[in-house]
Amino acid sequence: MTVAAEILPLAETLAPADQQELSAAVRQACADRTSVYPIGGGTSLDFGLPAKQPGVGLSLANLRRVVDYPARDMTITVEAGITMTELAQTLAAERQWLPIDAPQADVATLGGVVATAFCGPRRYGCGTMRDYVIGISAVDGRGMPFKGGGRVVKNVAGYDFCKLLTGSLGTLGVITQLTLKIRPLPERSALMVCDVADFAGAEKLLAALVNSGTTPAAIELLTGPAWRDDLALGPIDRGAAARLVVGLEGTESEVAWMLEQLAAEWQAQGVRSSRALADDEAAELWSRLREFPADREPPLVLKASVRPGRTTEFMQAVLKLDPNASLAAHAGNGIVIARFAEFQAADVSRRLIGVLQPAAAALGGHAVVLCSTLGDLTRQAVWGCVDEATAWMGRVKKQFDPQNILNPGRFVFSDG
Amino acid sequence: MISSVMPSLVARLRQIVGVESVLSAHSELVAYECDGFVIEKNCPDVVVFARTTEEVAEIVKTCNEFSVPYLPRGAGTSLAGGCLPVGGGVMIVLTRMNRILEINLRDRYAVVEPGVVNVWLTNALKGTGYHYAPDPSSQGACTIGGNVATNSGGPHTLKYGVTVNHTLGVEAVMADGSIARFGGPAEDPVGLDLTGALVGSEGTLAIVTRVWVRLTRNPQGVRTMLGVFDSVDDATNAISEIIGAGIIPAALEMMDQGILVAVEAAFHFGFPLDAQAILLIEVDGLEAGLDGQRDRISELCLQCGAREVRHARDPNERLLLWKSRKQAFGAVGRLSPSYCTQDGVVPRTRLPHILRRIIEIGRKHDVRIVNVFHAGDGNIHPILLFDERDHAQTARVLAASGEILDECIACGGSVTGEHGIGVEKISFMRKLFTDDDLEAMNHLRTAFNPEGRLSPAKMLPTAGACGLEQKSPGRRAAL
Repeated sequence: MTVAAEILPLAETLAPADQQELSAAVRQACADRTSVYPIGGGTSLDFGLPAKQPGVGLSLANLRRVVDYPARDMTITVEAGITMTELAQTLAAERQWLPIDAPQADVATLGGVVATAFCGPRRYGCGTMRDYVIGISAVDGRGMPFKGGGRVVKNVAGYDFCKLLTGSLGTLGVITQLTLKIRPLPERSALMVCDVADFAGAEKLLAALVNSGTTPAAIELLTGPAWRDDLALGPIDRGAAARLVVGLEGTESEVAWMLEQLAAEWQAQGVRSSRALADDEAAELWSRLREFPADREPPLVLKASVRPGRTTEFMQAVLKLDPNASLAAHAGNGIVIARFAEFQAADVSRRLIGVLQPAAAALGGHAVVLCSTLGDLTRQAVWGCVDEATAWMGRVKKQFDPQNILNPGRFVFSDG
Repeated sequence: MISSVMPSLVARLRQIVGVESVLSAHSELVAYECDGFVIEKNCPDVVVFARTTEEVAEIVKTCNEFSVPYLPRGAGTSLAGGCLPVGGGVMIVLTRMNRILEINLRDRYAVVEPGVVNVWLTNALKGTGYHYAPDPSSQGACTIGGNVATNSGGPHTLKYGVTVNHTLGVEAVMADGSIARFGGPAEDPVGLDLTGALVGSEGTLAIVTRVWVRLTRNPQGVRTMLGVFDSVDDATNAISEIIGAGIIPAALEMMDQGILVAVEAAFHFGFPLDAQAILLIEVDGLEAGLDGQRDRISELCLQCGAREVRHARDPNERLLLWKSRKQAFGAVGRLSPSYCTQDGVVPRTRLPHILRRIIEIGRKHDVRIVNVFHAGDGNIHPILLFDERDHAQTARVLAASGEILDECIACGGSVTGEHGIGVEKISFMRKLFTDDDLEAMNHLRTAFNPEGRLSPAKMLPTAGACGLEQKSPGRRAAL
């Protein structure tokens, strides 16, 4: 927990043995008006605004049991502190998986991934975390344990706390247990790649992919130094603006058909050369695609979400400001992850708030900061605009955490 | 409601929406006294038809000013009393807000008003290669606003997910009369997922006036088959085997002999009337994988004792099969004067158990029960047949219903998979959830609806909504 203490203003860190202990710790903190910082794998403690209120860390390290795994029902109930790798190994033993690509899976916990709603390339074909959580238990800001959903795949009894808490950054409750709907592992996972000369050409291919005969699991548009000489992709074509990578998953026969089909479609659309990656190359590239947002070197990592058809426009807006930025877009979904090479403190108001956030808004979406080394960022800089929706979120927050002790000051709420 | 305020309330509402859009005569109001849940009835004091978001906002502000309860209503096909105006008040009918505002195929979404009928959207998408995936059996009548309120399912939600999985955002009139928007065409909206919280909230948190829905590509191919079984046990075991083998069909439905007889009389599909159960199984996706999946499913069915597995020969035969399934409830009228449908959920491996228990419970209470349901999701819909003029029989039906739902809970399941809690199942909430869970749900309601004027006495067993004592079950319109 040394890492957590470097990022969070912690007086101490508790590691409760179970939900009951955790609940007692939060109840105590509520009585003392002490801030509480839930800690999973510690991979996203710098996500959101920097924590300033001194408080206690609440580690989920001891809540990592597999509670119930009825594999034939294709559901699993686990405690929130289980790592993504451990979860994946448990599921793989039954040839099943949770198709959410979380970076740093060996330390990142399921609870943390649910709280941050992180989601990688496969979101195009497989959806996001909100599509998989069917039951959730948490402890609110008074120390009261509560749950929503259940253990069956279809259930509309009561309010959907699974959705409310997914992506809530631990501000409404400390997530302690989750039930997930899971999927069978695909037999084969392949990647097809081609280089594109310019962004107009890239958008043509992206628009065509939406209507492709294939059913991609992932559609990734990559550009910048990080991808120029990628080991699996090889050196980029001279003069090419970006590389388009398409993930194809399914049975052997489905994937074989899709590889041929996509090659034919691309050829008909004027792509001069495309290739399918060998299985080991593909596995490596999947991993680099997954880990891309977790690179903590750059001064700023931004995540924008725009209408899918406007993805390339936002990428160009980023490159105009920083030609050396590295970008990975989940282009089928309009998500752009931008790792800036150059970003000064003065650029926050000038470029982030002044240019990039309005650019994302003009393209139907928004931009938020995933992490930065720039120090003290404002709420406007990290989370973007404040609107009537945020006010309603604040009202929900007040109900679940009246003393504002859960992850105070880090999320979108206007008064903490 | 205090009748002294009625004249001025009605006058004000007429100013907002026009004279012809306000109903206040009892003879007109009686049509709105219930939804598909007909056991409890109560007339609203006023019915208002809104045409715009701004009109809804003005109506809500007026209700607040007059301190009267109000609630939204779509087509009224809901089955748990979500549209029942408990305590009277103003019913805001949204069926005239029925425009499809935008269809954007490049970005795979559509924007619709809440009164758009579910199937209109899919019809509007004909020829584009896209459809709107949630397909409740009442899709020819129910509205997308109502689907959002109840988080509707349907046969094909097994593979494609329920309404919330296809809802990108909503615009809503809040309980204070303000207008807010959550989410939209771009994914991962900033902050809390309030879209996700509003979907399935049964009209108790806000009134949704616009919906951004995800559009789904039509599958390249489809294979539809019919597994014919000589025992219900064999059929439910086959369901468990198919899911357990890691196959997720697009749809997997079961009908037992009782319902088959009625459906055959209505649609003349050619169902084998001596079969104890049939499974309607559909797989879709890439042609390259379909025959393999079909053969595997056939094999599993035969291993579980299926007498035969038939394949739909052409699109027409497939359509007739689905028509038979989706309109099965209409055919129940051939079996008995009244019926009562339940909506329990169990883990899929417990289907053989729950079906056996349903048969036992039927015998114990001397109630005839037939079954047609979303087997792949573990979402059962036992239909209890009776004659409501026979009070003793009626009481036995209620007892049997309660026992079936209790058994679902005992199996680790739920008392509603897609119909909602409404007023019908409030008394089961304490069996599913702890006091703390319910308090947390109250917190959410209080954040949005602090005065409790919006859809009072629904979903949560709070003061004023202690759970209705059911006197008699009634007919159900559709599933």
